[in-house]
Amino acid sequence: MLVYFPYDYIYPEQYSYMQELKRTLDAKGHGVLEMPSGTGKTISLLSLIVAYQRAYPLEVTKLIYCSRTVPEIEKVVEELRKLMEFYAKETGETNKLLALALSSRKNLCVHPEVSSLRFGKEVDGKCHSLTASYIRAQRHSNPSQPICHFFEILHANIVVYSYHYLLDPKIADLVSKELAKKSVVVFDEAHNIDNVCIDSMSVNLTRRTLDRSQANVETLQNTIQRIKEIDAAKLKEEYRRLVEGLKEANVARETDIYLSNPVLPDEILQEAVPGSIRTAEHFVGFMKRLLEYLKSRLRVQHVVQESSPQFLKDIYEKVCIDRKPLRFCAERLRSLLRTLEITDIADFSPITLISHFATLVSTYSKGFTIIIEPFEDKTPTIANPVLHFSCMDPSIAIKPVFERFQSVIITSGTLSPLDIYPRILDFRPVTMSSFTMTLARTCLCPLIVGRGNDQVAISSKFETREDFAVIRNYGNLLLELSGIVPDGIVAFFTSYIYMENIVASWYEQGILENIQRNKLIFIETPDAAETSMALEKYQEACENGRGAILLSVARGKVSEGIDFVHHYGRAVIMFGVPYVYTQSRILKARLEYLRDQFQIRENDFLTFDAMRHAAQCVGRAIRGKTDYGLMIFADKRYARADKRGKLPRWIQEHISDGSLNLTIDETVQLSKHFLRQMAQPFRREDQLGLSLLTLDQLQSEETLQRIAQIAQQV
Amino acid sequence: MDEEPERTKRWEGGYERTWEVLKEDESGSLKATVEDILFKDKRKRVFENYGQVRLGMMRHLFVVIDTSRTMEDQDLKPNRLTSTLKLMEYFVDEYFDQNPISQIGIIITKNKRAEKLTDLAGEFSPRRITAVWLLKHFSDSFCAGSSISHGWPRLKQSVSNRHMPGHTSREVLVIFSSLTTCDPSNIYDLIKTLKGLKIRVSVIGLSAEVRVCTILTRETGGTYHVILDETHFRELLTFHVKPPPASSSSECSLIRMGFPQHAIASVSDQDSKPSFSMSHLDNSSGPGLTLGGYYCPQCRAKYTELPVECKVCGLTLVSAPHLARSFHHLFPMDAFQEMPLEEFEGERFCEACQGELKDKSVFICSVCSSAFCVECDLFIHDTLHCCPSCIHSQSTS
Repeated sequence: MLVYFPYDYIYPEQYSYMQELKRTLDAKGHGVLEMPSGTGKTISLLSLIVAYQRAYPLEVTKLIYCSRTVPEIEKVVEELRKLMEFYAKETGETNKLLALALSSRKNLCVHPEVSSLRFGKEVDGKCHSLTASYIRAQRHSNPSQPICHFFEILHANIVVYSYHYLLDPKIADLVSKELAKKSVVVFDEAHNIDNVCIDSMSVNLTRRTLDRSQANVETLQNTIQRIKEIDAAKLKEEYRRLVEGLKEANVARETDIYLSNPVLPDEILQEAVPGSIRTAEHFVGFMKRLLEYLKSRLRVQHVVQESSPQFLKDIYEKVCIDRKPLRFCAERLRSLLRTLEITDIADFSPITLISHFATLVSTYSKGFTIIIEPFEDKTPTIANPVLHFSCMDPSIAIKPVFERFQSVIITSGTLSPLDIYPRILDFRPVTMSSFTMTLARTCLCPLIVGRGNDQVAISSKFETREDFAVIRNYGNLLLELSGIVPDGIVAFFTSYIYMENIVASWYEQGILENIQRNKLIFIETPDAAETSMALEKYQEACENGRGAILLSVARGKVSEGIDFVHHYGRAVIMFGVPYVYTQSRILKARLEYLRDQFQIRENDFLTFDAMRHAAQCVGRAIRGKTDYGLMIFADKRYARADKRGKLPRWIQEHISDGSLNLTIDETVQLSKHFLRQMAQPFRREDQLGLSLLTLDQLQSEETLQRIAQIAQQV
Repeated sequence: MDEEPERTKRWEGGYERTWEVLKEDESGSLKATVEDILFKDKRKRVFENYGQVRLGMMRHLFVVIDTSRTMEDQDLKPNRLTSTLKLMEYFVDEYFDQNPISQIGIIITKNKRAEKLTDLAGEFSPRRITAVWLLKHFSDSFCAGSSISHGWPRLKQSVSNRHMPGHTSREVLVIFSSLTTCDPSNIYDLIKTLKGLKIRVSVIGLSAEVRVCTILTRETGGTYHVILDETHFRELLTFHVKPPPASSSSECSLIRMGFPQHAIASVSDQDSKPSFSMSHLDNSSGPGLTLGGYYCPQCRAKYTELPVECKVCGLTLVSAPHLARSFHHLFPMDAFQEMPLEEFEGERFCEACQGELKDKSVFICSVCSSAFCVECDLFIHDTLHCCPSCIHSQSTS
């Protein structure tokens, strides 16, 4: 198979990655692939799959590329454009590929043509809000001809959009249901995919939500009243449709056009909407009763945890709501909103949320739990009741994706340990591989700092985290490093509270003042605007040579989506192991479920989760082969084999025995040495043949052997 | 010899892994690669000189030395400052040895301020010697100033205030120990100004790569290096001894130069009267009345040393050997050919030092095909500027 690769040189691991990818596609199975960030995952994926599409147009019809954030999607489109240009140049023919990127309206609606289109659709009343937005990254389609959005999705060869469009049942239904079976689905940056799945299936209800839905119901009622006076026929028409049932949908599913919506299981489609909620007034009354019931449930003084069947039984006893109408709640509401021609869906989001909750709770008896908490743990005196309806099984949301599409590729820079993903997502991959980075020079330097200069073990362990000596040693570590690391340092703490405590304590001890002599300090806060401001100033300080430290939190915004290339992050310090807050009831329920259903021990999962976040944090610093950075793990526990073994392979292989359990001054010495080595001039010629390959080199026997070692099968 | 009292005790100093330098390369490929790269660099310096390039031979160089708190760091022995001073002495000597008609000035930065120790001056000016001495003296008194250094504004001022003819190269060499700079205005504007003034800025970093220096040097066409250890530091300084290629935009002009005769007057001579040298008029420390000296061919002002710029008429006074010394940069020696030791036939002795050839490659002169070892190769190219065996054969024939 001939693969066009739009760059002159190729990294050996990219070649290896493509080989694995091809194997997966050949087998028509699913794959889990881990390759370090900055080694060109995206372009390898795109160039191989596009080549595959050209070679076997019947086997693979479509590529669905899911990424996490808007900038990432933009990057993908950019790479794709490069690839297309290269194709056009090499083959000399205008290519027939159509690529389409989807995102939210907010991001993309700058184009006058598009916005007018969107308006047209709103009038149309059919595609209410989510569908309307798109940009067209396609090259060949005739621009003068107005094309329907759905039509394009059906015919585009490459679709790029966010996870939610495929996973979130509420959106997926609108956007993704018509995608063909012979598609390849790629989830990029998928290390958090289980959480995305869970989030998309979980519902949190507060008193505020209920109050607002109450208002919604009233609006609905008024609108119905009004419509009735003006146009009673409309409501009748709806009624008739509902009697006929969702027959149409059923037909569609049988003919295999739709991606099955997990919210709407098969049985529902075969039945008509039950009589009790068929007329609009009855439905509104029904919703009122449901709301009242939920309100009464929120008036609790103690924490309640129950399963969905228990909840259903209770609701039946209290307000005589049956299971069946509950299941149709979401569908019925949508139909009503459509009939009433309400354009501003956003106003009705609380009531929509409630209806989703009702449908979910009555549909799934397993894998979900309901927890009602009268107050938050932090503030036990303030009543703030919350009803968590939380999904514990990520496989529920992703199951239709795995079932429907012939190949699903899950890939990211940090997926270790690989074997846990198939287990929690409940699928069987044909390939699971981890690739390392081939480097002409060792450009990353992971160090595990276990002790202070006074030999006191440092750790963010619960028992010792308040310990004065530990806090002081953490402070000293940062102080020393601020003196030797140029430009930017990013420090991650395990939580906001912990960061606040430590920083306050440093301030009292005068450590902060000393640090500020070397570098400026910026702090991430839960407020997004503040954080982006801090980030901007941080980058400015790195840029003009003043140097800066960014204190931020693992699992925060900074740790997930911001890259610290080159001088923006010469060192990353991870203070402590970022375990999740283990006392949370939702987490406890999930852990229990994992243990019962998938035989994953609590501790294994917690460690896995902590380590993937740690790896994610430290991985922020290295974004390519010319980049370099220190990775400092400041906790004694990282030295243990069970923690260390869960780091991605490309980090693990650089941790030598000599860099375990270091003291602070050993760390400083090693870092100094490392930074000086890295500052030596580094040219492209040095990389050639080692970590950069030309076509000739790629064909040599010796190189192929070396490449074979890069991938590690699990 | 008494120890400095405030020096920290050995065991209080930084933790060092001294054995790692000696370690044979077993596990990490890093050391070998980096050393390999360094070796290539060493050779590169020899190679770079080829071709007929216009060189800025009349150099005006300002050395900016960062004397912030980070200079107290003991990773160079005994500390960065002392080590730097020692190497600076070597550098200044070497600089004037190779560039007799050039000038050098020294600026130090500390405590967010820059001080000009000496203005641009030519060789053997007593002021230069004082400067180094001053710096040494100064080193005792410098201390915990804030670690922020910036010399730029001061430097800019002193460079631009001086009228400099277009044919000279204007250079700045910064010895940068700190990792931060603190500037009153936007540093990128300054970089633009420097670029506009065609001032070439090179930086030698003592600790790590700082982004702003990378940009500074890239924009102004200088070089940026970070030292590994003292030997590397010395090498990097040596690198700056050679004149850089002149930018094509610098004007070509003929320069008037005076070649004064050295008049030797004996006391017995009736006509001779002791007189003051013009260059010593403004400081009392220099020698007083002398008999002989160099007289400016234009205005008959007397100087005891050359080269110098005449204080009266502004003529550049040099002697022929000075020019000749600068001249060799224009006609550099051809690089020796590298050859693996196995392929080399003939006696395995270096033609120059007579030592046995042990390294993996030998270097062959392209003219007389004698073999040399790496060290001698470097010595010949850096210092002698002519192949000893070629000269030997010339004189015999």
